[in-house]
This record gives sequence, C-alpha cells and structure tokens, in this order.
Amino acid sequence: MRTCEPKTKSLSEGSRSGFDMAEERRGHATAEDLLHERLEVLEDTQRATLNILEDFDEEKGKLEQVQRAAMNLLEDFDEERRKFQLIQTATLNLLDDVNEERIKSDETKRALMNMLEDIEVERGKAELAKTQLQAVNKELEAFSYSVSHDLRAPLRAISGFVGVLQQNYAPVLDDNGKKYMGYIRENAEIMGSLIDDLLAFSRLSRQPMATGEIDMNNLAQSVFDEVGKPEADRQIHFAAIQVPIARGDRSLLRQVMVNLISNAIKFTRQKKDALIEFGFDADQSAYYVRDNGVGFDMKYVGKLFGVFQRLHPVEEFEGTGVGLALVHRIITRHGGRVWALGEVGRGATFFFTLPS
Amino acid sequence: MKKCTNEIEIVIVEDNKYDAELILLAFEQFHLVNKSIVLKDGAEALEYLFGEEGCVSKSFSEYPRLILLDLKLPKVNGIEVLRRIKSDERMRRLPVVVLTSSNEAQDVKMAYELGVNSYVTKPIQFQELAKVVANLGLYWLLINKPPRE
Repeated sequence: MRTCEPKTKSLSEGSRSGFDMAEERRGHATAEDLLHERLEVLEDTQRATLNILEDFDEEKGKLEQVQRAAMNLLEDFDEERRKFQLIQTATLNLLDDVNEERIKSDETKRALMNMLEDIEVERGKAELAKTQLQAVNKELEAFSYSVSHDLRAPLRAISGFVGVLQQNYAPVLDDNGKKYMGYIRENAEIMGSLIDDLLAFSRLSRQPMATGEIDMNNLAQSVFDEVGKPEADRQIHFAAIQVPIARGDRSLLRQVMVNLISNAIKFTRQKKDALIEFGFDADQSAYYVRDNGVGFDMKYVGKLFGVFQRLHPVEEFEGTGVGLALVHRIITRHGGRVWALGEVGRGATFFFTLPS
Repeated sequence: MKKCTNEIEIVIVEDNKYDAELILLAFEQFHLVNKSIVLKDGAEALEYLFGEEGCVSKSFSEYPRLILLDLKLPKVNGIEVLRRIKSDERMRRLPVVVLTSSNEAQDVKMAYELGVNSYVTKPIQFQELAKVVANLGLYWLLINKPPRE
C-alpha cells in the first residue's frame, strides 16, 4: 500500500478543511482547478485501490500457489500412503507364507525323525539277525568239520586194515574172500567220497558271495581245458558260441561250470564223438551246457537236483549225486534258475539264468 | 609209566589206536617197530619227554630221533606239546612231524609258527598213509642228517 500524499492526508483531516482550503483557493482557483484537484484525488484513490487490488491479486496468486502445492503434497502423501499400504499387505502375506513354510518344515522334520527312528530299529534288527546268522554258521562249520573228521577216522581204520589183510593174508584167502575184502574197501572209499562231497557242499553253501564281472566264455574254456583230459579211445569236441558277460561270484560259478562240464564228459563216455556245447539262449536269457551223451528220462527230471540223487547206477557212472545239487544251490544263491532237458540215448541240456 | 630209553628212536603221539597200529605196520617194512613207542595223549607225551625220568634229563645223543605228533589229543592237545618241545633249549632241535587229520588253516599256521618241521595230513586210504609214514621215517631217520650235540 502506498502511503498517500500529503494531499490525501489533508483529505482525511476532514472534508471541511479540504473544503475550506478549496474555498480559500476559490478565491485564487477556478472550478477547473477544483475539478483537477478532485480528479487527482480520485486518481490517487484509484491507483491506491489498483495497487491494493494488484497486491491482493498477487496474494491470491501466492495463495493459489500455496494451495496447489498443498494439494500436490496431499496427493503425494496419498500415494505414499497407498504404497505403504501395499507394502504392509505384501509384508503380511510374506509373514503368512513364512509361517506356512515353517509349519511345513517342522512337519517334514518330524517325519524325517520318525523315519530315522524306524531305520535305526530296522538296522538294529538287521545287526541282530546278522550276528545270529554268523553264530549259526560258525556252529554249522564246527559241526560239519567234526562230523567229517569223526566219520573219517573209522573209515581209515576199515580201509587200512582191509588193505593189510589183502596184502599180508592174501595166500590164506580164497577167491570169494579176496572179493569180499574188495567190496569192503570199495564201500569204505565210497563213504569217504560222500563225506568229502557233503563237507564241500556244506562249506560252499555258507561261503560269502563276492560279486564281479565274469567272462563266461573264458571260464567255460578254462574249465574244459582243466577237466577234459584227453582220453585214449575218443574225441571230445567242445563248441562254444559268444555269450554275455555275467555278474556273480567267480569261484562259485567256476564250481558250477566244473560240475556241468564234468558231467557232460562223464555221460558222453560211451560216445565215440562226444560233443559238448556251451552257449546262451536269448529267448530264455539262459546259459546252457549241452551234451550228446546218455541223456536221461524226463520222467525223473524232478529228482535231478536233489542231494545224493542219481539216475544211473554207480557201476555205469561213478559219482555221489551231489554235483547237480551244488549247481542248484549256487545258481539259486545268485537269484537265478536252473533246469534241464534230456532224452534217453540222445543227450542232455542244462540251462541256468544269472540275473544281472 | 613209559620211561625214556636210548633204544626208542621214534615217538608216536596218537590217541586213535587203529591209526597208531597202521603207522607201526608201515614202519615194519623198515624194521623200525622195535625202535618206536606209542603215547596215547598229550599228558603222557609231556611226561615221557619232560617228566622226572623224561628224555630231557638225558644226553642229547639219547634223545628220540623223530616225533610224530597228532594234534587232536585228549588231556593236553598236540599244539601244546609242540609248544613245549620247541621252547625247550635242548628239545627244540628234535624233528617234529605233525601227522593229523586236521586240515584247518589255523592249525597249520599255528604249528608252523611254533616251529614244526613238517605238517602232514592223514590220508583216508591206508596205502597212502603207509607210504607217507614210511617216507617220513626214511627221511628223518636215514636221510636227514641230525644235529650233533
């Protein structure tokens, strides 16, 4: 606000003084001067009013600016509040999820603990079973050993003294006497073989199994070379086709091959051109040993693998009848099957599977 | 009580009388029967060797020349007898041949650890046993040079 000029001040001093001054000046001033004076005063008032209006406008403008700024602030604040709410909601959701996960994790932990307990219990049972089995095996071993040892001693005496009789008392014995003494010796020998075979059977059955990869072709050839001693009056042909690698206990499977191939050789004894084949039947996933020897009657196939079971008289073919029982035991321990096909006079084929 | 005498060259420690007789029969071929004695258990063997009138108190030249020792003996077993013989200053030079039906790996191992001179398993056939025993007698008494005093 602009301060008024003294003229205006003089106006405020009352219209009378102004009027008086004006009256005074009438003497020296015309009506025009009076009008000019009044116009100036009016202009001043106008100008002052305009200034006030301008100031007011400016203030209004400033106020509007402040208002706008305040509105913006409010908007920003609103937005921040909204964002804050979103974060709040998100955090609450997270907390919920975390809690849920924690509960799940607790449940899983509990389940695992239960499983571990069960495993411990099972392990304890297995340990106990193993210890018991080891104890039983030891007992069996001691039993078999003492049985064979104690059975052999009297056999030695029987065989020994008959031998002395045969040697030193031959002149006193007639033909029958000599023959009967021979019978006694023979039977003592058979009994000795039975004891040996039983002991071997028992021991082999209790041997722990070691598993490895075995080249069955190699094994078959090596076994044939070992047991197929060349015989004077006949030829033994050994034919093998390529067979797959097997998994199992080498020494036990060697025993299987020895038994099967020896049998094949033994039972082809009467054949001039014996043929022993080793191969693999893909359809049945089975290895086989085949011979063209004396064969057997399929009627008795069920007895083949029994202990001490024989299908031929011992005068024709020696043996105690434990060989195939051993083969059966070993293959079964490997989880496989063994079976045979035969035809009297034509030969026999022995099959066995070895699951990998 | 069997006393240790100079004439006895072979000591057979065997509890089975049939085996003992078979062994003696085998020695017959070499006229060694009169020079052999059979002791039927470990206690008798220790008494004969280490007792009051045992061999140990005699001079070395009077000691037996060969001991055939079975392992499975009553009272004191063969391993124990072997141990006593091989840990005695004077006795340990005596050849000891274990002649037994035991084929157990631990018996063989233990016998060799104690210093046995030879370990032979009794065969079932008498013929075999006779051969083995005769060979043993022949070897230890006639072929092998014994230690001097």
